[in-house]
Amino acid sequence: MGCGVSKSNLFQKSDSKAVTSIKAAVLIQHWYRQYVARMELKRRYTWHIFQSLEYSGEQAQIKLYNFLGYLMDNFTPSSNERNLISHFFRENEVCRDSEWERFFDYKNIDVPEIYSGPHLTFPLTLEQGSGLVDAFRNKRQLHSRYVLQLLLDTWRLLRKFPNISRVSTCQSKEITICGDLHGQLEDLLLIFYKNGMPSHERPYVFNGDFVDRGDNSIEVLLILFSFLLLYPNDVHLNRGNHEDHIVNLRYGFTKEVLTKYKMHGKRILKLLQKIFSWLPLATVIDQKVLVLHGGISDTTDLSVLARVDRHKYVSALRPPKKRHPSTANVSVDYEEEVWSSGRRRSSVALPRPLTRGTFQNTSLPDFSDRVRPPVGGAAERRGRLALQGALLGGSQQALGAAAGTGPSQDSGESSDHSEDEWKQILDLLWSDPMTQDGCVPNEVRGGGCYWGPDVTDDFLSRHNMTLIIRSHECKQEGYEFCHNRKVLTLFSASNYYDVASNRGAYVKLGPDLVPYLIQYQASSKTRELTVRQRVGQTEHSALRVLRKQLFSHKSDLISAFQDLDKENTGLVSLKDWAEAVEGVMHLGLPWRMLRSQLISRRASDGAVDYRQWFTELAIQEPNMEHIEKGLLEMLYRHRSTLETIFRIVDTDNSGVINMEDFRQTWKLLSIYLKMEFTEEAISDLAVAIDTNGDGCIDIQEFMEAFRLSDKKSRLERGRSMFMGTAHDLQRPETVDPDL
Amino acid sequence: MAPKKKEEPKPVEAPKPEPERPKTPVFDAASVKLEFTPEQIEDFKDAFQLFDRTPANEMKITYAQCGDLTRALGQNPTNKEIMYVLGKPKPEEMQTKMLNFDEFLPMHQHFCKGKDSGTYEDFVEGLRVFDKEGNGTVMGAELRHVLSVMGEKLKEDEVEQLMQNQEDANGCINYEAFVKHIMAS
Repeated sequence: MGCGVSKSNLFQKSDSKAVTSIKAAVLIQHWYRQYVARMELKRRYTWHIFQSLEYSGEQAQIKLYNFLGYLMDNFTPSSNERNLISHFFRENEVCRDSEWERFFDYKNIDVPEIYSGPHLTFPLTLEQGSGLVDAFRNKRQLHSRYVLQLLLDTWRLLRKFPNISRVSTCQSKEITICGDLHGQLEDLLLIFYKNGMPSHERPYVFNGDFVDRGDNSIEVLLILFSFLLLYPNDVHLNRGNHEDHIVNLRYGFTKEVLTKYKMHGKRILKLLQKIFSWLPLATVIDQKVLVLHGGISDTTDLSVLARVDRHKYVSALRPPKKRHPSTANVSVDYEEEVWSSGRRRSSVALPRPLTRGTFQNTSLPDFSDRVRPPVGGAAERRGRLALQGALLGGSQQALGAAAGTGPSQDSGESSDHSEDEWKQILDLLWSDPMTQDGCVPNEVRGGGCYWGPDVTDDFLSRHNMTLIIRSHECKQEGYEFCHNRKVLTLFSASNYYDVASNRGAYVKLGPDLVPYLIQYQASSKTRELTVRQRVGQTEHSALRVLRKQLFSHKSDLISAFQDLDKENTGLVSLKDWAEAVEGVMHLGLPWRMLRSQLISRRASDGAVDYRQWFTELAIQEPNMEHIEKGLLEMLYRHRSTLETIFRIVDTDNSGVINMEDFRQTWKLLSIYLKMEFTEEAISDLAVAIDTNGDGCIDIQEFMEAFRLSDKKSRLERGRSMFMGTAHDLQRPETVDPDL
Repeated sequence: MAPKKKEEPKPVEAPKPEPERPKTPVFDAASVKLEFTPEQIEDFKDAFQLFDRTPANEMKITYAQCGDLTRALGQNPTNKEIMYVLGKPKPEEMQTKMLNFDEFLPMHQHFCKGKDSGTYEDFVEGLRVFDKEGNGTVMGAELRHVLSVMGEKLKEDEVEQLMQNQEDANGCINYEAFVKHIMAS
């Protein structure tokens, strides 16, 4: 027996209350866990949407570039077409030094009295460096004269650097490493605020992708370059896949520069082309930690990378080939390597559509099925015939035989070499890690490869290293370890996909080489939002983009639905709907799961009225009744590609192209996209856009005219204004460093 | 004097049989009858795939994800129930052992047969317990305490998330509004 006093009496009184309390608590806890799980699901598919769209955009870019590259290598030139095509790869123009002097001649540029931005003198002083940061924080713009001067000094400096920077953490210096910034000035300022600006005591490595997508790419770049000039031994820049003028054409940097620097933008861009090619490829810390932008492959060899002439690779998407001598005759001079299963194709994986099973180890697709020659048509010039012959592709043997005397033969040795070098660089800039062993071409992005933990282990042991730090992929938390913590992905652009989509992170490495990670998220407004609001907002944006994508594939979708709707009822089952949509869109998304967001009404048996569905998507089409439907849809769908091509064609970066180039561009596109456009349709289009009738088309106006907008969002935005949550939807105007 | 307990000599007999250990109930997947429609199964597949992080898309998730998935699909099992259907795995196995879709289905079915998750009234009733003054509010601090100490305890950051922006200047929560808010996701 225990002691006399028992607690049982007391307990009994509060017993029922305690039980009810516990029941209540459990109820809430259960509910909460379910709620968290549902949020997680939403977050996942939202992320999936954004990422699929991003990667399919990259894929489209590379597909296009491959196509153009193919034309360059195999097209027998003749008049107009030759001019147009040769425009595409003007980086192959050999510029004499004197020409460069002309570009760099900033001395003639005067800085007007009213200029309120920062003034720079060279060599830069510390004060000017931090002054520049302040100026940009306060939304000033640096005058083009100073920009050119700064770029000139940067170029001169970069040429002295080796391909691989070697850094040490001697004297207990900690090195700070940052990942992708993508023109997000806020994030860079936040990093400087939290961590301090670069200095002798505070060395930094910036791991590529400084530009594109964000609004302040040029400012980010200028800040990085100015610190590079101030502390050349303590600031290290690695090249990213976006430090590439071809990529910049599509992803916004080119547009940004031309908009901000109307007079001298072209020059600035031309210079940057050179500077990007001179950016070092990687950084090694204490001989143990490798920092590079994309990743590695099973053939990555640092000694090869250390030896390459990195500045030859102005764009990583194209090897530095010499064009063959042109002949007037029908050229059957196809490079054998294009058709063989050999080197070229193994270097640039021809992109495949994204599927759920995207990571599966599949063989490379045959390039020839991507392009079909135009049907019919009048007698063409020889050049066109040659192209058609190549594109038919069926008789590979014939081509192979004919290529016997190709010019590639005599440059066999050196082209082998440069092919290998090129692959090394491509892998370095574009690869992504995967969880399974092995190394397969990265068909999702279209460049580089996917490499597995075994490749990491092998690489690290071969080079006697312990860690790879890379960027290139957006991560929810700003960073992610993989391959048994031997690979660290670091991403420094917070809110990349949308407000509150992800955090950014940077890493500090001391002499112990143990990574210490710091996370952040730009804009204090984000932190005030609850999880639900954040997820909801991002989801909202993702769906908006998705709806536009669906709308711009209307005709393909309708025919896919019709294939499944044999009895022509106008309805398809949910299962068929999902199947058809994936078959057309190739995004690998969980369509069934998204149905409540994408389909508002369904019949009682769950069937979808597919024609009705398009009206429900609530997409506002521009008023273009006189334009052929097929053409219009193509415009929506291939917006980015179109804009990219226009900017390529606009050789002097004036923002305007002439009618003839415009027509030629469409002809080219019709081959590439396997669509037929009549001369009339194109003329109608041209006339519709050339509003002032001067025979020139303003690219920006053109793109704006064919933009799809979202009916729903305008309504919802209006409503939410009244509900007082408007501030959530706007980006903050000023950087709020108050953490 | 207290009587001494006499040690009885052990009987020289056949040793007594070991008392039967009570059988811990084990989840028998085979005995679960699947009552889902094909449509539902397609939906579950979609969700399953979203949680699948295997590179080759092998349609497998970790044990740790099983609970999240079933909740994401609308069920409300307790953590204990989840452990039960998983066969009471060790903590370290949660991240390493994998579950494929066919193994998941009977587990999910089992949960679907469970009690319904609470209604609005249930929640309000539950919260009313903490309404000391009977004025429609509860002290945020008390609620936090309860949620992190009782029942299937929530972690501190989970409680934070749940309670974010709910307390007024005095640290009180109007619980009817609270429930409406949390149910309106």
